[in-house]
Amino acid sequence: MIATRIHRALWPALLIAGLAACGNDDTGNNANPLLIAAQTAGGALSGLRDGQAGADAPAPRTPEQMAAEALRVNPAPLIMVGFETLGRTQVMAMTGQNGAVRTYMAPSQEALILRDGMLIGTRGLGHDLSVAEPQTEPLIRAGRAGSARRVMRYYSGDGLERPLVFDCTTGPGPRAGVILESCEGHGARFQNSFMPQGGHLPVSRQWAGPELGYVTIQVLRP
Amino acid sequence: MRAHSMLTRRLLASTVPVALLMGLGTGPARTDPLIGNVLNSYGLPGGVETPTAEMLPDGTLGGTVSYNELGRRHDIVFQLHPRITTALRYSRVEGMNDHNDLGHIWDRSFDIRFQFLDEEGWRPAVAVGLQDFMGTGVYSGEYIVASKTITPRIRASLGIGWGRLAGQYRPPDAEDEGGKPNLDDWFSGSPRPFGSVTWQVNEKLSLVAEYSSDKYKPETRDGRVEAPGSQVNLGAYYTFNPQYQLGLYTLGGDVFGAQFSFALNPRNAPYPSGLEKAPAPVRPRPSPASDPEGWSGAWSADPTAQPAIRAALADALAEEGQILESMALSADRAEVRIRNTRYIQQSEAVGRTARLMTRALPPSVETLVITSNSEGMATSSVVLRRSDVERLENTEAGRIAAAAQLVDAEPRPAGLVKTPDLFPRFRWNLGPYLELGVFDPQDPLRYEVGAQLKASYEMMPGLILSGTVRQRAFGSMEQRGPGIPGQRGDHYTPEEYLSNPAYEYNNGVPRVRSDTRMYTGNDSPTVPELTLAWYAQPTEQVYTRMTVGLLERAYGGVSGEVLWKPANSPLALGAEVNRVKKREFDDIFGFRDYEVTTGHLSAYYEFANGFTAQLDVGKYLAGDKGATITLTREFANGWRIGAFATKTDMSEEEFGEGSFDKGITISLPITWAAGTPTRDRATSTLRSLSRDGGARLDVNGRLYDKVRDAQSVKLYQGWGRFWR
Repeated sequence: MIATRIHRALWPALLIAGLAACGNDDTGNNANPLLIAAQTAGGALSGLRDGQAGADAPAPRTPEQMAAEALRVNPAPLIMVGFETLGRTQVMAMTGQNGAVRTYMAPSQEALILRDGMLIGTRGLGHDLSVAEPQTEPLIRAGRAGSARRVMRYYSGDGLERPLVFDCTTGPGPRAGVILESCEGHGARFQNSFMPQGGHLPVSRQWAGPELGYVTIQVLRP
Repeated sequence: MRAHSMLTRRLLASTVPVALLMGLGTGPARTDPLIGNVLNSYGLPGGVETPTAEMLPDGTLGGTVSYNELGRRHDIVFQLHPRITTALRYSRVEGMNDHNDLGHIWDRSFDIRFQFLDEEGWRPAVAVGLQDFMGTGVYSGEYIVASKTITPRIRASLGIGWGRLAGQYRPPDAEDEGGKPNLDDWFSGSPRPFGSVTWQVNEKLSLVAEYSSDKYKPETRDGRVEAPGSQVNLGAYYTFNPQYQLGLYTLGGDVFGAQFSFALNPRNAPYPSGLEKAPAPVRPRPSPASDPEGWSGAWSADPTAQPAIRAALADALAEEGQILESMALSADRAEVRIRNTRYIQQSEAVGRTARLMTRALPPSVETLVITSNSEGMATSSVVLRRSDVERLENTEAGRIAAAAQLVDAEPRPAGLVKTPDLFPRFRWNLGPYLELGVFDPQDPLRYEVGAQLKASYEMMPGLILSGTVRQRAFGSMEQRGPGIPGQRGDHYTPEEYLSNPAYEYNNGVPRVRSDTRMYTGNDSPTVPELTLAWYAQPTEQVYTRMTVGLLERAYGGVSGEVLWKPANSPLALGAEVNRVKKREFDDIFGFRDYEVTTGHLSAYYEFANGFTAQLDVGKYLAGDKGATITLTREFANGWRIGAFATKTDMSEEEFGEGSFDKGITISLPITWAAGTPTRDRATSTLRSLSRDGGARLDVNGRLYDKVRDAQSVKLYQGWGRFWR
């Protein structure tokens, strides 16, 4: 309630402060600090962004329809990705491969970086994982129980790359063919699940970070 | 002010050593010192009115507006260091009178608090603080306070205070011009106790009870308002997102007040990694067997190869907001010279350029050189082995940092080919502007709104014609002459001021800034700036600037500068000389009689941990000689908060109120708040008073900030975004 009132009061200032500008030069402008206060006002922009994403999205289709269409029009390796916290599912196509690491991108130029199914990084999502170093990876691929460390490095708001370190154990899941990786650290815990097949990880649900939450990944075309 | 999960807090933790942030280690981070959840009415962590030994998370920049019938306080707080909190306050104190005869006064004050012991085991955190330690001293007081966590939700503080905190008032010395530390008063008089208990009911709500020894003597002197009957104050504070807090409180049950606080933390960006699209990934080279021609380097003999590669790379870089100004390409080495127009952290521009180079260049090219250009000046070169870029993609940023070399850029290397058709380059921007004026007791907040057209015409890299035209639409800023000497609170009307040239001197001191408001309130178009600037780089480590024209709103003329700044040196030395004439108040191209040569010798030093210092020694606009010291704290994400002070040979009496020039500068990058990539910033300078002593020319484009983005300290500080 109060927050809404503040947004309303600050919006005019925000407009004045230079958002409604035109020209071919959008660099080197000095805005007023009011703009900063206004823009950070309690996720006013995050609401806006979510709204835009919703407006841009075409008519809802089932994941099956999306997969079928992508397989038809795009010859590249494809994955289907579900962002649980963002509440959206999309198909991403491989745009590059460096060794075993592949970069998959959506048309919106958001990217997931996978090493044969293992989530290594994200790009363009606002709360990106810079790089993950899961020492549990050999255990998971082999479907073995054990424990190892997992380091997840994030881009922090102050412009640095900061590591979060987790202690993880792997073990069989409730269903046959599923292996769970349970991690704990910094007062948080999460659990990744994988379905390894011959050392590959075609289907998984992995934790990408405190804000991004869980991501489900399914290989459509290897 | 920190309703974060422990995990998020870990990402926000401040005292992690830099090596760790670069990813060179994985040890646990030290935690912040004792952090306060409630900001008191003075804008620092505390109870209702009393201080505690608590700190804010390092780097926090906050503000508090607290109103009650005894006064209104507007506080800005900055956590300068994990253990040092600073505050600047502009308050309306009821019941006092000065020359303005308003029944209240407007007063600035500064506070500083140092937590010298952190809480550990049974030992409480202990801090010492100075409140309103320079200037008029309405709130002048000192304290030593201890704070202890009793249960996870209850925290208690106990302290002893002097001055205001002991209920004593130190009346200002009428003869004094104020603005200096009141050393003689510190810890004088008989001390009295104070204390508070804070109960954090839940993540959002905190309740505070405190005992204060303040008697509100200045506010109640004239008897119009009564002091609270009891020394016990109560408050309730509601944090409705980690950044905002609303408080209601009562002083002694008689006086009621409300306050609003916000706290921004540089670590706590809405989109920490930014919303810019994903970069194009590295494209590893094919095996020599599958591309023998590319690996042989034979392509470099083909005259059509170079322009094709250059054009493809220029297009790809343009997508990333990088202008490829020139390029040198041989069979095994490629150098690109880029101008970064998008990313606030140069490492991100360099990292994206390196990846695009792996996609555009034939396989025989092994050495990648990325030179950062600023206004045509080559400020540094990052030298990478292409095989390192291929090998270290998708590893922590520290590893590519260790494999990269940062060297001085050669200004005019052989074989450099300019990208055709980039220049001349015409840029323009039409938009609204908002200008604010604060610190006038008779009109505490003035503003002006209007339209602004900015344009620049860059004939070749480094030679730029630029200008700004403004048209006021509405506002409360009006033209006004400076204060009449001897009649405090009265000002010349514009007509009076213009009628007698002698008025342009005050005690023999030319009015170089105190008549600034003669330049405001103009209803016809104004030209704040119209200049021709030429930037050059005579040698690898020396940069020059020459600017002529209407340099700023009040002065026009010639400004010349030279700066020595090696790419790998934290030290820089500079010199600036300006010959300027005072501009006419209304006539855009006219000048007044006052003419002066000013100039400075400057030394700059970049300390570790983002602190930079600058010392300028020279002659100021009014002809006074002296020095300015500036201390700035900078974050990798572009946050910049600094303070400066100038002392010249002008006597305190000649200078007038405030005694010497001082102020703070706050500059926040828009991208931090919005997430979208841009180099734009929101910048604001608050100086204590506009006076004629210690005034510097406000010329745009000074070299130091143009040059250092791509140089060692700043580049490596922000290296964590190389792979973003």
